[in-house]
Parts: sequence; structure tokens; C-alpha cells
Amino acid sequence: MINRRRPRYIALKIESEGIFDRKTFLNKVWDSLTRLYGEYGASKAGLVLVNYTPKKGFAILRCNHKALLMVRAATATITSIDEEHVAVHVLAVSGTLKALRRKISEHGRLKCGGTI
Amino acid sequence: MSRKFVDLNLRLSLRDLNKTRKMLEKAYELGYSLVASSLSPNVNKEDVDIIQKLCSDIGIDFVTRVDLTPKTRKDLLGYLRRLRRKFEIICVRCVSKVIARQAAKDRRVDLLVFPSLDPRKRFFDFQEAELASSALASLEIPIAPFILSSGSPRVRLLSYLRRETMVAVKFNVPVVISSGASEVWLMRKPRELAILATLFDLDFPIALDGVSKIPISIVERNRKKLSPNFIAPGIQLIKRGKNCS
Repeated sequence: MINRRRPRYIALKIESEGIFDRKTFLNKVWDSLTRLYGEYGASKAGLVLVNYTPKKGFAILRCNHKALLMVRAATATITSIDEEHVAVHVLAVSGTLKALRRKISEHGRLKCGGTI
Repeated sequence: MSRKFVDLNLRLSLRDLNKTRKMLEKAYELGYSLVASSLSPNVNKEDVDIIQKLCSDIGIDFVTRVDLTPKTRKDLLGYLRRLRRKFEIICVRCVSKVIARQAAKDRRVDLLVFPSLDPRKRFFDFQEAELASSALASLEIPIAPFILSSGSPRVRLLSYLRRETMVAVKFNVPVVISSGASEVWLMRKPRELAILATLFDLDFPIALDGVSKIPISIVERNRKKLSPNFIAPGIQLIKRGKNCS
């Protein structure tokens, strides 16, 4: 049987007064995921940080399609990074990066302006 | 037609209107079209008007809500008699079994909340659900305590919420998911709230109804009842004046 990997790309808006580097943000997402689902559950997510723009507070995560709800729940439970209050909101979800970018620009949901 | 989303438990401050405005703007940005905030039972009409004005400027509908924490059954009945026609939503924080049972069977109560983390003080069991299902009360689950907790308190809270939602679904008691946010950084999109509700084994469509259809139906039902044209359930005044033939 072919083991097809169907990725899901998640565009995120990070709202905080602080600015965090790529590693800190990704560690926080992993931390949140492992706290909610354990190491076994988190290992199924196939989480990758595809794009991160700290100044715009924008990120794109990739995960397995079966782990989409897990990753969305994990990002929703993030409340602080480096002792700064944070809220992470999902802007759009898609199966390809191209469609994700189109979705964001169509709906004008990326308020920070410019392209991703 | 796209869904309308509701946050029935936004903790707005009447003292800090700047913060209140920010929270309402954020609620609008996150996709909510209707929000409710708990007000003091003795709130002035002017204070309510200020929030309503803020909401209408932003383009969001505001619902008045009161959270009651009575100590005795008599207190609860007194509050309900006094406040039912003043507020659109009445929520009872069940801190004792007597209060929980009375609130579940009283048709004037809209929402039941169990705030305690002590397992002996969470009274939403089969009997409570049976009473609530024959009345009009819904079970409210605020998400903020879950987001803010960690470690063993979070595990315990998840376990209680899983049991309570299972009981509610079994007895057809509507479940309302709300943010319970007192700060902007605690506010989440409606779909995120629904996804968090799936952590306590609520199906995603039911959880999504808990932030849209169910709270909307509660608000519509109560607004109808509070309207001057309401006479009795099923009887409504549709026209007044001399030419009513």
C-alpha cells in the first residue's frame, strides 16, 4: 500500500509585543504539542516551520493532514513566549503553499501588508 | 450562508473602556458577530448604553448577561425573580449541589457553569443533565481556564470536561463553548475554540454549533421573550392600534 503524505500548510498570525527568533517560536509550538498529546502524539504531526517572519508576526507551518486538528489545538493553547503574552491565530489552511498564499491575499487577512 | 459566531463570555471591564474597545475590536476581527459580557446585577443603564454604543460603532451585537453565584436556593430564586427581565442571558455558577439542581430545573436559567476544580464540586452528573434537558438550561464551558492551566490541573480539568460533555450529549443538553477571556491575548477564533472543545471528545460539528447555533438560539429566544410584544410562549402581539381588524 502506498503511504501517501498529504501535507497541510497553516498560515499563522502571531500577536505579541515581543519579537522571537525562529527557534524560540518553533520550540514553543513543539512544547505545546507535546504537552497536549505527548511525545507519541507529537511524533505523528510531522511538524515543520516553513516560513517565519518575526517582524510581521507571520509564520507558515506544515503538518500531516491527519494531525491538522492537533496542531491547531496546540497553537491555540500558546499564551506566552519568553514571558511575553502571545496569541497565535490561524489565518488560513491549505494543501499547497500556492493555494495558501492565494487564500490569504484573496481574503485580505494578512493585515501586516506585503507578500509572504 | 456563512455561519454567525458568538462569544457569550467575554470579560469586559467597565472601568477601562480603552481595553474594552480593544477587546471588542479584536472580537470583530476574529469573526464574532455577537458577544456577551457578564455585568453586575446592579449595573446602571448608562454603563450598558456605553458598551452598546461601543459595540454598534464596531459593528458587533452586544448581549447583556449576568452571572449569579447564589449561596442558597432562596437566594437564587430571589435573583431570578428580580433579574430575569433585566438581562438577556442568565448564567448560574453552581457552587453547591442544591444550587445546581435548582438552576438546572428552573426555566429562567440559560447557562450552567461549574467553576470549581474540586471533583466533589462539579455537580454535572446524570441527574443534573436530566433536569437540565427537561428545562432550558445549557452547559457552558469557558476555554480560558483550560488554556491558562498546565500540568496536572489541566489533566484533571480535561478529564472533568470530558465526562461532563459526555453526559450532556447523552441527555441532549446543549453545550455552549465560550472564551471566558479577560485579556486580548486570551481571545481565540471561533473555530479554534471548537477545535479545543474536541479535546474533551466533543465532535467538531457539535463544538462548532456551541459557538454559533446554540448561543444564537438562546439569545433569540430570550430577546423574543423580553420584547413588549411577547404575551406567552406561542402567543405574540403582531399589531396594535385602532385598525387591527
